Amino acid sequence: MEEKKLTRGQQEVREKVISLGLCTGCGACINLCPYFRSHRGKTSILFPCTVENGRCFAFCPKIEVDLDNLSLSIFDQPYDGNALGRYRSIFTAKAGEKIKSFEAQAGGTVSSLVYYALTKGYISGAVLTDRRGLEPIPRYVTNAEDVFSCSQSKYTAAPTLAVVNEVVEKGEVNIGVVGTPCQILALAQMKTREKPYPISLSIGLFCTWAIDFRLFEPFISRWIQASHIRKVDIPPPPAEILQIFTSQGEKIEIPLSEIRPLVPKGCAYCMDMTSEFSDISVGVLEGRPDMNTLIVRTERGQKLVDEAIKEGYLIVSDMPKENLEHLLWAAGNKKQRALKRASDENLINCESLSYLRLKGELLNQLTQ
Amino acid sequence: MSHLLDPKAGATYLLMGNEAIVRGALEAGVNVASGYPGTPSSEIIENLSRIAKERNIYVEWSVNEKVALEVAAAASFAGLRSLCAMKQNGVNVASDFLLHLVYSGTRGGIVLVSCDDPGALSSVNEGESRYFARQLEMPLLEPGNFQEAKDMTKWAFELSEQLKQIVMLRSVTRMSHASGNVSYGALPETKRKAEFKFKGFILDPEEGIITSAPVEWRHKEQQDKIRKAKEIFEESPFNTYEGPDKPELLIITSSACYLYSKEAVEVLNVQDRVGILKLGTTWPLPPKLVTHYLARTEQVMIVEEVIPFMEENVKVLAAEKAGEIGAKKFFGKNEGVLPSVGEMNPDFVISAISSILGIDYSPVSKEYDQSAKLSAFVHAPARDQVFCPGCPHRASFFAIRRAIELDGRNGFVCGDIGCYTMAVRPTGFETLKTVHSMGSGMGLASGFGKLGLFGMDQPTFAVCGDSTFYHAVIPALINAVHNKSNVTLVILDNGGTAMTGFQPHPGQDFNVMGESMPAIDMARICEAIGARVEKRNPLDLEDTLHTLLEMMEDKNGVKVLILSQYCALSPQRRGKKDYELSVDETVCLGEECGCGRFCTRIFRCPGLVWNKEKAKAEIDQVICVGCGVCADICPRGAIKRKEVA
Ligand SMILES: Cc1cc2nc3c(=O)[nH]c(=O)nc-3n(C[C@H](O)[C@H](O)[C@H](O)COP(=O)(O)OP(=O)(O)OC[C@H]3O[C@@H](n4cnc5c(N)ncnc54)[C@H](O)[C@@H]3O)c2cc1C
Ligand code: SF4
Ligand code: SF4
Ligand code: SF4
Ligand code: SF4
Repeated sequence: MEEKKLTRGQQEVREKVISLGLCTGCGACINLCPYFRSHRGKTSILFPCTVENGRCFAFCPKIEVDLDNLSLSIFDQPYDGNALGRYRSIFTAKAGEKIKSFEAQAGGTVSSLVYYALTKGYISGAVLTDRRGLEPIPRYVTNAEDVFSCSQSKYTAAPTLAVVNEVVEKGEVNIGVVGTPCQILALAQMKTREKPYPISLSIGLFCTWAIDFRLFEPFISRWIQASHIRKVDIPPPPAEILQIFTSQGEKIEIPLSEIRPLVPKGCAYCMDMTSEFSDISVGVLEGRPDMNTLIVRTERGQKLVDEAIKEGYLIVSDMPKENLEHLLWAAGNKKQRALKRASDENLINCESLSYLRLKGELLNQLTQ
Repeated sequence: MSHLLDPKAGATYLLMGNEAIVRGALEAGVNVASGYPGTPSSEIIENLSRIAKERNIYVEWSVNEKVALEVAAAASFAGLRSLCAMKQNGVNVASDFLLHLVYSGTRGGIVLVSCDDPGALSSVNEGESRYFARQLEMPLLEPGNFQEAKDMTKWAFELSEQLKQIVMLRSVTRMSHASGNVSYGALPETKRKAEFKFKGFILDPEEGIITSAPVEWRHKEQQDKIRKAKEIFEESPFNTYEGPDKPELLIITSSACYLYSKEAVEVLNVQDRVGILKLGTTWPLPPKLVTHYLARTEQVMIVEEVIPFMEENVKVLAAEKAGEIGAKKFFGKNEGVLPSVGEMNPDFVISAISSILGIDYSPVSKEYDQSAKLSAFVHAPARDQVFCPGCPHRASFFAIRRAIELDGRNGFVCGDIGCYTMAVRPTGFETLKTVHSMGSGMGLASGFGKLGLFGMDQPTFAVCGDSTFYHAVIPALINAVHNKSNVTLVILDNGGTAMTGFQPHPGQDFNVMGESMPAIDMARICEAIGARVEKRNPLDLEDTLHTLLEMMEDKNGVKVLILSQYCALSPQRRGKKDYELSVDETVCLGEECGCGRFCTRIFRCPGLVWNKEKAKAEIDQVICVGCGVCADICPRGAIKRKEVA
């Protein structure tokens, strides 16, 4: 039989990711070439490309993601399906006394670590996500003070990695990145290529889902003008609300049941809640809106966290048992739901192109 | 002095068909000429404009064909001789006025020259203007060679004055654009004075008012003129017969088809079996003359291009006279002997005659012919039409296409008539999704823009050229604004009527005779209509893109984006390179990821070429006009541009 040549480029991304609605607009395929571009939170293909071995394909977190390979190259260990991924330690955390007060999403752990890494020269610049109105705008920050102007979560899916591609192309090295799990997954694929990206620090956020900016903007405009929004928050369960804090000091609460229809379809296939391939992952801490959950995964992450604590930029304490249990439950839940859905739709371990690859037994176990 | 002005009667020149028409008009002492550019008619007004001063003629490119005909008619009403030139579909535009003009009648000789384009060599239709002659009941003349083109034009003015009716002279591309020898007549000294007389008796054709009412009375007058035309045509020297006394087959033909028929008869060497009745006066038919020749044969073939116009007329006549001359066997389009689309050629006529007369003649084998046709069809895209090097339309459509993709809601563009019509093809990134008549793009967009009521959320654009804007877009724009249609009009302003050869239009500050004229500012027109107007340079790709994206988000009615940049071939830019371009081979990615031959595969300016051996892009310095745009599309910055001092 004549073997069909398997190209791995734009056409496959178009057919298996964008057309199937799996794209989360992460930005990993943007700014590599003239073909992919992001506009108002949506990734578009402008013209057909015929390159057969493309980086769009290699980076995209929604096509041919080989979890074993990735885990081996980041942790020297195969993928084991742990609900929180591989990690060294887990804490509760918040900004240390050396950090001036700023408007953080929760404990300010992320901004504090990035600020520290920048001032101490761990990294020379960080790719963060700012916003204009409700539109998330990725930025490359080299001045440590600017880290705080990018603080707080933008709950809309953002093309953050587009800026990573941009600065790498410009020749920047020692780059730090803060991103959601799909972005961190793509970033891991960027770091593990033949010519690895010069990423020195990846801080992953916890994420259950994001919101499609193009749907969110007109939706929110029913309540408030985007320019009057000071902060958006989704407090942990069982609150089931999205809160908007206005610059006039008001608080608007919208039930999550109204928000869920605005979530990109791709999020439903994401089996990672805690950015399993990062150096460090950060989320909120249930019951303590001023604190974070902090997961340290790599040696490099460990070193940064240790130093930051020692120098007063970060405060950590032990993770209460019931918090950890609940986190494991939530993350395991997300993983199981996503894997089940993807496997039911025949997107895992197919002969032809797949979304995910992982060991068969593990898949069975995780979807039980 | 122009060769068209040689006063010597009997002098012979090699003239293009359109020049022969001009000479004929000069010999008739034409005073006023108007028209709207359109291939294959444009050279008539252009040539007249060049000699306008010397012959004291008023020449203008009018805003559209209807106004052109009105301008010419005014001259006729004032007792002058006038000519109005346009291409076939221009007659559609003029036809509303024409319907009324044929009722009211005319005074000074007036000739409407329509240049049809069978085979659509430079049109998006192969419309028939001949039917207007029958439908609107006015005389129609069709020259069969270059000499006739001149002689007939001159005579058309006389006929028009004799009948007090406009006369239509129809040429075709092969007549207008080919050349042949023409022997001149004398140039008259005309000293006509213009005066519009209207104080006479209301129905007086010379001194009354000029209008189509009272309709029945005027219509009868008009039909009397046609009856008179028939009588005149019976004697016309432009109707000729050659062939045996009693031909086995009578060919009735006209125009360029006369030449094809003659050639076919000669090739088959059947001069003694086949007769050719060539008609120059094709509507109304001279009944006695045609009956006379029909009576002498049993078989008749009508050779004409596209629709069987003459065929129908001859068949009606033959049916009327069947009692006298007996029933004839007809061969033509309706019988499937000749094609009713595309250009005619001698081969079609040869095979038709051979099959009728049972002659075994096959110039090329059928299989060869078929395979040639198939391969021409299959390989057609390889010879695709492309925008010129440095064409601003390429840049404009590059921006529009990207804006539509980025927006991601399946937006589309309604196209119009001009060079930019090519944007249905890859050269314009396949951006146009509809193309019809001039101004129709905006009209369609205006309609699409109201379909939100039925769930349509696709962003809608119209594009038009600057000349088209004045010609027919303004009413559609008014319609869109007034009806709050949510659309964006992009005006591709390249500083002239580029496709047909840079004829000036009302947006420019000079006219066809080079005199300075007030320019009509299209931005201010659009603003006055109530649209939001922006102006950009399409060569600034990112600026144009962002403006388009922003306009798509603006849901407040009609937006107009004027993209101004001279055509690469325009007199203003021709031969002047703004930049010297080169490709840095060490930087060029070529086929690699990150580019994938973007410049030569997608952007495709002919100035960019792919060097297969090196697997790098290159600039063809001969073809590149130095617009510099490609430097901005290269993802690597490998295309370097250096300003030319
Ligand atoms: C879409 C989204 C969903 C989330 N869902 C959960 C969840 O379900 N459970 C949970 O525990 N935590 C979730 N988080 C994480 C949580 O909201 C906080 O970001 C996290 O706890 C860090 O808090 P902090 O105070 O340290 O952040 P800060 O110090 O305020 O810093 C926030 C950082 O997040 C980055 N950022 C903001 N928005 C985005 C974005 N859209 N994409 C990429 N980077 C961004 C900024 O660059 C900034 O550096 C989510 C975050 C996002 C962006
Ligand atoms: S150039 Fe590379 S990254 Fe861009 S579409 Fe082609 S294969 Fe994908
Ligand atoms: S998921 Fe990310 S990499 Fe994949 S197509 Fe979407 S934006 Fe591109
Ligand atoms: S010149 Fe630029 S666009 Fe053209 S092939 Fe080279 S890198 Fe690609
Ligand atoms: S500069 Fe580039 S785009 Fe312009 S004509 Fe030359 S090759 Fe074509």
